[in-house]
Amino acid sequence: MWLVFKRKPSSLIILFIPGLIVTSIFMIYPLINGFVISLTNESPIRPLTRFIGLDNYIYLITNPNFWEILLNNFIIIGFSILLSIFFGFSISLLLNQKLRGTYFFRVSIFQIWVVPWISVAILIGWIFNSDYGVINYLFMEFGIFNDKANWFGDSILAKIVIIIGFAWRMIPFMMVVSLAAIQSIPNEIIEASKIDGASYFQRLFYIILPLLRNIIFILCLLQLVKLFQEITLPWVLTGGGPINSTTTLSLYVYKLAFINWDFGLASAAGWLWLVFLLIFSFFYFHFFNRNYNE
Amino acid sequence: MNRIVINTLLYFIIISTLIILIFPIVWMLLTAFKSTDEIFKIPPTFLPKNFSFDAFSYALNSDMPIFFINSIIIAFFTSLITIFVGGLASYGISRAKHWTTNAILMFFLASMAFPIPLLMITIYKILNLINGLDTYWAVIVGHMLITLPIVIWLMKGFIDDLPIEVEESAYIDGASIIQIIYKIVFPMTKPGVIASAIYVFVTSWNEFIFGLSFTTSTDMRPLPAGINLVFLQEFQYQWPEMMAVATIATLPILLMFLFLQKYFVQGVTAGAVKN
Repeated sequence: MWLVFKRKPSSLIILFIPGLIVTSIFMIYPLINGFVISLTNESPIRPLTRFIGLDNYIYLITNPNFWEILLNNFIIIGFSILLSIFFGFSISLLLNQKLRGTYFFRVSIFQIWVVPWISVAILIGWIFNSDYGVINYLFMEFGIFNDKANWFGDSILAKIVIIIGFAWRMIPFMMVVSLAAIQSIPNEIIEASKIDGASYFQRLFYIILPLLRNIIFILCLLQLVKLFQEITLPWVLTGGGPINSTTTLSLYVYKLAFINWDFGLASAAGWLWLVFLLIFSFFYFHFFNRNYNE
Repeated sequence: MNRIVINTLLYFIIISTLIILIFPIVWMLLTAFKSTDEIFKIPPTFLPKNFSFDAFSYALNSDMPIFFINSIIIAFFTSLITIFVGGLASYGISRAKHWTTNAILMFFLASMAFPIPLLMITIYKILNLINGLDTYWAVIVGHMLITLPIVIWLMKGFIDDLPIEVEESAYIDGASIIQIIYKIVFPMTKPGVIASAIYVFVTSWNEFIFGLSFTTSTDMRPLPAGINLVFLQEFQYQWPEMMAVATIATLPILLMFLFLQKYFVQGVTAGAVKN
């Protein structure tokens, strides 16, 4: 087809025109315009917009609250990803055994992935309800807690609930992708190691995991980027509280923009988010490549 | 003997994991069928004493059906448009191997990291300017934006697998590029199109903040935003009703999943594993 396109470049251009229009109006322009807005104090409820330079950025960077939110953000998302990849991968190893009914187990677990976030939020809110929630009841019954825990009133407990919600919803995804990845390993490699007398755990740590390292690293980064955007759970469950302990970066920027209507500050925070994500990805890949080359 | 012990152990682990993971969904369904008195009992009852449909009939007589229909309309048109736009671009990326098309693909991948609330500010201003707020289109545009990168990525993977000769001979026979795409490429990559459409539909069904900020009247709200604004504020303690609402929001996607399960798995694994 390349020859076709070379002879008739217009046909290639036609293919990209719809996408180009959409992305330039709704992605590139908003991104650049967002930076321009971040240098002003623009707000729909303020009649006059003034250019204020880097004041918004300075305000954010010198504000300890902002750093706290950033830290919370990484704690919540980091733990969610670690938990979900750990359990997702472990379950996929189980399902990769030659057992009957693995198809049924896979479907049953994977269905969690289609539960809408809003339902997840309502559900988690009910299960962790401090007075009538089933978790508190079970924990007290088994003597883990002496008293009802106020899951949404304590900054650490609230974080744990959000992390559990995120991880629960993502385990199936991690599981399905890991399973597909494990099954894509050529059978000869596994068979050869069996003949050489490697035990199951030797195979796991010396063959399967090193082979899947690439996929797992990329998978985690993709999920990290996705979770950065996820807002429903903290919004519905805690509204970001108590005292910002469950405010993620996206919730913070969204609230600044569409609750406080402070477009300028929100844009600055949004740009800082992008910059932090880029720096993080850079180090992530750097670390990954260095480990990989050793 | 040893094998039996290990298998029993594995089954035990798998089944208990399954029970723990599925429990929240089961609990949601069970609570939805309980009466309000029953859920405040301690110790909680597992099965509802008498199945009551009050919560469901209550939810169906509220604004829920409106939100539901809104969400279906929005998700349907988002899928249609995104597949159209993304399909064309992904075909170009797949077939014209050139540094520019590569750069376009990289741009789309990177665009997943663009902060959505940041983009929303300018889109909000644009829509406000053209009086486009509080319409289906406002939400559809937002949803298209967040699904386009994945659709292009997915469809490119599927199109890469197609043999190029069919298209070339069609071209020699005088078919235009658009004809080739709609008559040959899309039919041949049906699993890819379905998997992408499902992905867009599910994401649109899930999406929260565009619906929350770009619509203002109850009649226009998609499900998540509507549920948040109507139910979470008014019915804080009516848990059976809340669970019925959550169940209704989950049901269509769950049914879709059970029937089109194969495509869901393909969509999820195709993008991630290949690269």
